[in-house]
Amino acid sequence: MSSTKRPYRRYPANWKSSLLSLAILVIAVAAAFPLVWMVLSSLKTPAESMQVPPVWLPGSPNFDAYFEVSEVVSLGRSFLNSAFIALVTTIAIVVTSLMAGYAFAKYSFAGRDWLFAALIATMFLPPIVTLIPLYRMTGYLGINANLLGVVVPHLANAFGIFLMRQYIKGVPNDLIDAARVDGASEVTILFKIVAPAVMPAIAALTLFAFVYHWNSYLWPLTVLQGNTDQYPIVISLSRLLSYNRGAMNTGLVMAGATLAVLPPVVLFVFLQRFFVDSIMATGVKG
Amino acid sequence: MIGRTSRSAIGMLAPATGLIAIFVFVPMALTIGLSFTQWSTQTGFDTARFVGLANFADLFGPTSIGRDFRAAFTNTALYTALSVALILPLSVILGLMVHQTFAPGGIVLRTVLFSTYMVPMIAVALVWSKLYSPTEGPFNQMLGWVGIPPQTWLSSPNTALFSIVLLNVWQQVGYFTVLAVAGLTQIPTTLYEAARVDGASAWLQFWKITLPLMRNTLLFSAVIAVINAVQVFEPVALITQGGPVNSTNVMTYHIRRVGIERAQGGLGSAMAVTLMLSLIVVIVLLFAFFRDREEQR
Repeated sequence: MSSTKRPYRRYPANWKSSLLSLAILVIAVAAAFPLVWMVLSSLKTPAESMQVPPVWLPGSPNFDAYFEVSEVVSLGRSFLNSAFIALVTTIAIVVTSLMAGYAFAKYSFAGRDWLFAALIATMFLPPIVTLIPLYRMTGYLGINANLLGVVVPHLANAFGIFLMRQYIKGVPNDLIDAARVDGASEVTILFKIVAPAVMPAIAALTLFAFVYHWNSYLWPLTVLQGNTDQYPIVISLSRLLSYNRGAMNTGLVMAGATLAVLPPVVLFVFLQRFFVDSIMATGVKG
Repeated sequence: MIGRTSRSAIGMLAPATGLIAIFVFVPMALTIGLSFTQWSTQTGFDTARFVGLANFADLFGPTSIGRDFRAAFTNTALYTALSVALILPLSVILGLMVHQTFAPGGIVLRTVLFSTYMVPMIAVALVWSKLYSPTEGPFNQMLGWVGIPPQTWLSSPNTALFSIVLLNVWQQVGYFTVLAVAGLTQIPTTLYEAARVDGASAWLQFWKITLPLMRNTLLFSAVIAVINAVQVFEPVALITQGGPVNSTNVMTYHIRRVGIERAQGGLGSAMAVTLMLSLIVVIVLLFAFFRDREEQR
């Protein structure tokens, strides 16, 4: 099912397949257009980006806007904040999901199916439903207005548990039983035998979690309460819009957007096979 | 052995279930409880004062609270319906283009579509707000090339919500295309071979084989698309602020404004509960609709 294992295709050369290829090309170009336009605009001069009718290509491409972004917002700090949020949540989600997924896949205990169903139901709960009390709860816990408040509520999630359970079910019981007979502890079995066997799922979850938390906006905006030192890049980005609003500094905004887009998209382009495979696994069997 | 296993099970489950219990189930129960109270979000939970169904009476009553809420509710319903109605057929068409073995380019298309799904919504919102610009934006220029007059996009109450739907569809459709491809790979190729032997046209094969056998995929996609749609926040918060004339004021934006910014925690919670109940109804209806289809065949 993996895209890389697909058998080699021999395409027939006829007008029908050429027409379809042309259609595919046109759609791909149209879909990529907003991102291409974003990058091109970031290289324009302020005058060029305000021109009517719009000019598509920058006359003399320059990176001035990128340098200006770092003057307006503390870019390095924002990047570090985003990296902290994405990395801490991702590592924690992978570990907690592995553990719970293993328990659901390989242990039988009273109430297992009910507990699993209750956890899975939370996958379908939009975060806005719990936002108001959660905001107050971080105050009680003393983690509001800082990065801990952003990450602590997101160290585990149902999607990760679901994904891990799907894959761990496929690990042979004989392998686990043999290790138990040899006296290995459950923790050793999980991290030395089960985890290596489900590496593609771990890779997929790593990428999903990283991208989701790198991109997330509503919760950090709410919990950080205007503490700009702690802003991740996507919130710093929205501050570019209000800066110098009169002049509508399009190039500046586009440069900021390009910088925020790069980490998740680059990650995806290199590792897309894992994303696609895991969607296949969750979408089909789910 | 059983004792050891159940002790291990507790140890393995504790971190994830403990965190989800504290940060999902507890706030969910609190949302329901607080929806029956008058409470300022800025103060402790102990200051919440029980008022029964007064918040819900406000939401469905004739005051400005009710009018704003019903506008947000209607906008979200419209936004969700339009998003699903565009995303589902598009994802099937694009999925067929990616999945076919007939012409090259499918994998490239999948990569481009899925890349857009990786782009933070905030960046999508910023870029599209410039694409939509009535004067220096390229959309109206392109429309001009084919003789269509410039559109108002985000600046008119008639078009603003639909413009945000388009932006959302562009960002999301790649994910649903991959889901559609996953569904397509599950259909046995022997069915198509048999149909070809019987002389069935490609059109007939699509309606009689492809679509019925993608029922589960389409149900799953529809549910996810609905859940994603009610979460729309960034384009509204950033570009339109709910306007013009309340036309893009959606639930997520409205609940946050009332519950956090105006600190009316009880009222905001009542809105959240109403949203949750509506979602449950919609999801049950979706399941019923797709199960009906199954029985008819």
